[in-house]
Amino acid sequence: MAILEVKDIQKNFGATDVLRGIDFSLERGEVLSIIGSSGSGKTTLLRCLNFLETPSVGQIYVNGELLFDAKDPSTQREADIRKKRLHFGLVFQSFHLFPQYTALKNVMLARELLAQEQAGFRKNKAAILADIQEEAKALLDKVGLNDKMDAYPHQLSGGQQQRVAIARALALKPDVLCFDEPTSALDPEISGEVLQAIRRLASQNMTMIIVTHEMGFAREVSSRVIFMADGVIMEQGAPEALFGSPQTERLQSFLRAVL
Amino acid sequence: MLFFTVTSRLLQGFGLTCAIFGITLLCALPLGLVVAFCSMSKFNPLRYLSKTFVWVIRSTPLMLQVIIVFYGPGLLWQATAMPRINAVVIAFIINYAAYFSEIYRGGIESISHGQYEAGQVLGMTKSQIFFKVILLQVVKRIVPPMSNEIITLVKDTSLARIIAVKEIIMVAQEYIATYALIWPLFYSGVFYLVFCGLLTLLFGRVERKLGYFKV
Repeated sequence: MAILEVKDIQKNFGATDVLRGIDFSLERGEVLSIIGSSGSGKTTLLRCLNFLETPSVGQIYVNGELLFDAKDPSTQREADIRKKRLHFGLVFQSFHLFPQYTALKNVMLARELLAQEQAGFRKNKAAILADIQEEAKALLDKVGLNDKMDAYPHQLSGGQQQRVAIARALALKPDVLCFDEPTSALDPEISGEVLQAIRRLASQNMTMIIVTHEMGFAREVSSRVIFMADGVIMEQGAPEALFGSPQTERLQSFLRAVL
Repeated sequence: MLFFTVTSRLLQGFGLTCAIFGITLLCALPLGLVVAFCSMSKFNPLRYLSKTFVWVIRSTPLMLQVIIVFYGPGLLWQATAMPRINAVVIAFIINYAAYFSEIYRGGIESISHGQYEAGQVLGMTKSQIFFKVILLQVVKRIVPPMSNEIITLVKDTSLARIIAVKEIIMVAQEYIATYALIWPLFYSGVFYLVFCGLLTLLFGRVERKLGYFKV
C-alpha cells in the first residue's frame, strides 16, 4: 500500500491557480524529487502536504487513511490538523531554527512538548526526557554534528544549521520527510554536506520528497522524479528516463536551461 | 540643617513618584500586551477599536488625560471625586498601555513567519509556539525601545502635580513659592538622575543576559 497518496490537489491564491490538479503516490522508502522552474507550484505542493496551505480541491491519504479532503470540513479541524502534520516533516529553505535554543534543544523541543501531553508524563518525567535527549543526540550524531550539540544557531554555518533542521524534523519520526530546496540558501561548497546527509537518509530507506534545483543530486538520489510546470505534473518517471530522454518540449527546454 | 529638611521632604515626594512609576509599570506592561493582541486581531471591529484607542491616547497630552480622568466623572455624572493619586495612576496606566502596545506589536510582527511555520510543522499548538518560540525573541527585540519608554515614564510622573499630587517636583516648587528657594528644584533632578541611572544599568544587564542568541 502506498504510504502517501495525493489526489487532484488544486490550490488557488485569489485568481491565480497555483496547483491545477496534482496526482501522485509514494511507496515506503521511495525518494521523490520534484523539479521545475520557479513559480511552477513545487513549494506550494509541499506546503499543502504539511497543512501550511489548505488545498481548494483534492484529497490526501497517508497509509490508506484519509487525512484531508477539501470537500469535507471534518477533516480540517485545527486540533486534528496538528496531529496530522506529524505524518510529515518539513525542512525549509532557510532553516528556521529557533535562535534561543541550542542545536540539541532545537531537536528536542517538539518531542518534549508532545511528551508533556501524554498521560503518565509526570510520573516518568526524568526517564522520558532522558530518552528524548538520547534520541536527539543520536540524530545530531547521524547528521555529523556530534561536536555542535551545545552551539546556538548563530554560531553554526548555514550547512550546519540545515543539518540541525534535518535532525529536528527527524526527531518526530515522520512518515514522509519533505525538503523545500534545502540547499538553495547555501554556498555551493557547503551544500555538499547537506546533500550528503540526505543521501544517508535515502540509503536508510527514509521516504522523502525533495523539491530541488540540484539536478545532479536529484538524478543520483531519487527513485522517481516529477517535473512540474504551471501547476501540473508535466512529466514523471525514473531519473534516468526523465533526464536521459525527456519527452515533453517543456522538460527539454527546462533541462537545457539548467544543465 | 535646611539641606536635611529639604532632602527628607524631597524624598517623601520621590516616594510618591516611585509609587506612580511602579504601579503604572506593573499594570501597563500586561495591559499593553492585551491591547497589542487586539490591534493584531483578525476580528475587524476589535482591531479598529484598539487602533482608535491607541490613536486617541497617543495624540493627546498625558497632562490633559490626567485632568480628564480626575474631573471628567464628576462633570459628566456628578460622581464624587476619586482620590487624586488614583486619577493619576489610572491615566498613566491607560497612556502607557497604549505606548507599550505599539512596542509589543512591532516586536511581535518583526519575528519571521518562518518561526511560526517551523513550530507548526513540528506539531506545536499556537500557544506553545508563542510561549516557547516567539516570546523570548520578542522580549530581546523590544528591550531597547522599552527601556526608552520606561525611562520616559520616570520623568512623566512629574505631570501628577497638575492635579496637586505632591510628587517630588511639586514639593520642590513649594520651596520656591514659600521660601523663595530655587535650589531644591535643581536638587530634585539628582533623584531622577540616580533612579534612571539604576534603570539604565538594569536594562544593560537584561540586554547582556539575552545576548547569548541572535534574532
